Amino acid sequence: MARHLLTGYCLLIYAFLLLPILVVVGASFNAGAFLTFPPQGLSFRWYVVFFHNEVFLNAIKTSLWVAAVSTVISSIIGTMAAIFYVQHAGRWKESIRLAMLLPLLLPEVLTAISLLFFVYSIGMGTRTIAAMIIGHCLITLPFVFINVSAAMESYEPSWSLAAKSLGAGPLTRFRRIMLPLIKPGVIGGCLFAFIISFDTFTISFMLKNVGTATLPIQLYDYLRTNFTPEAAAVSTVSIVLTLFIVVLSEKVLGLRIHRF
Amino acid sequence: MSLRAKSLKPFALIAPAVLLLGVFLVLPYINIVVMSLRNPGSGTPYAPGFTLSNYLRLFADSFYLEQTANTLVIGFITTFVCLVLGFPVAWQLAKTQMRFRGLAYGLVLSPLLVGIVIRSYGWTILLGNNGMINRTLIGFGLIDRPLALMYNSLGIVIALVHVFLPFMILPLMSALQGIDPSIEAAARSLGAGRITAFRRIVLPLAMPGIQAGCILVFVLSLSAYVTPSLIGGLRVKTMAVSVVDALIDTFQWPFGSAIALMLSLTGAMVVMLFARLTRMKWKAN
Repeated sequence: MARHLLTGYCLLIYAFLLLPILVVVGASFNAGAFLTFPPQGLSFRWYVVFFHNEVFLNAIKTSLWVAAVSTVISSIIGTMAAIFYVQHAGRWKESIRLAMLLPLLLPEVLTAISLLFFVYSIGMGTRTIAAMIIGHCLITLPFVFINVSAAMESYEPSWSLAAKSLGAGPLTRFRRIMLPLIKPGVIGGCLFAFIISFDTFTISFMLKNVGTATLPIQLYDYLRTNFTPEAAAVSTVSIVLTLFIVVLSEKVLGLRIHRF
Repeated sequence: MSLRAKSLKPFALIAPAVLLLGVFLVLPYINIVVMSLRNPGSGTPYAPGFTLSNYLRLFADSFYLEQTANTLVIGFITTFVCLVLGFPVAWQLAKTQMRFRGLAYGLVLSPLLVGIVIRSYGWTILLGNNGMINRTLIGFGLIDRPLALMYNSLGIVIALVHVFLPFMILPLMSALQGIDPSIEAAARSLGAGRITAFRRIVLPLAMPGIQAGCILVFVLSLSAYVTPSLIGGLRVKTMAVSVVDALIDTFQWPFGSAIALMLSLTGAMVVMLFARLTRMKWKAN
């Protein structure tokens, strides 16, 4: 009896978690001009509107580009730091872990504002997309670090040593021995980094400029003044893109995300 | 290779991370503290010279004090509701052998894959005066006029609970998983009832997870911007929304910095107080 009650309760919570997402997806197929419930028939018209809207298409391109570049940068920096953390940090281990997780522990809104003032005070400004990419690297770095250092914990330093005794140089040792063994952690980290960057709002909102708005920013701007289901169509495409990336990395690259 | 060069080599691994965090995180934080002490400018973001007036203005203005209180209350309620709603789910995920455990775990994680703007947008469709919930209730004749679910603190709390619930469930789950079932069984065999065993054994052992989840959700809900902005509209503003308004709409950099720092400091103080209180309480038991 108690067990069934618990299961029923959990199902309610899962429904609660999925509800707003399903509502958005459902609203995108609404034939009417406004978000009404029950919907006035099914239609793809808002997808057609969206695929002709340069503003949203450019925003998607910007988002994908920023996410790709910052994932590459933060995965390299984060992987190097994770190797150092597990193999060489010694008594500095705890401090390094704390420092690497700092962007996650500090309130994002404060980090975003601090970075905005800083890029202006050093004369960099937000004219180029560089400031936004730096911001995205900061907030994605902890996710790469968590995933790669978890994979590194089960890596035996003696494996590198064996390769070294057989004459492999440092780069070969990394490429042929270490990287294949910690690959799941690296891919998991990259995936997290990409999705966080693709979806993040506050950092992009503070560091955006004309022409560098990412999809979440564009969507937010649109939602403040418009109530058509076009936003729902855009959101649905964004959800499908994210799912596609997750499934792709799971099926093609054989990913195992590090669980909390 | 000399011995010295060899011992320095590993540091090249950590150097890029130190550089990135040092230049683009630590320096900006020092910079914002300095900024909050600058004179407000007219026409420019700030003027030369230093002052404490930004902080004094914050404490003198009842509008901002009220807003701080409101933001903290929203944070407390969100955290508490997440804990109460999330605990049974974490319990089921951690303790029971069910067939669809993988699927259930995926369901808890899946909202995290969807951007916060989209999830908040979903709530505006649900909660609005013309939204799904009100229309359904009116359609069934349960209410005559739409309930005020949006543009108030209630709507913000509902949406924030949804956005941050996974961050509560995950740490709770890993804490509960770490508890050896035989300890609870031992307590029961020594005559403890179900409730006593839970209160005296399980709860203290799950405390690190409860602490981590509560701190995470509280901090995240204090600094949330999108959800309060879309759900609260112009009527209800939290601190984070005011901060961004002060910076983007009115270019008051020094004052905006002061609000942002006060908000973060207040949050940090509450977190430290909470950590200390919960630890002491469970030690005393």
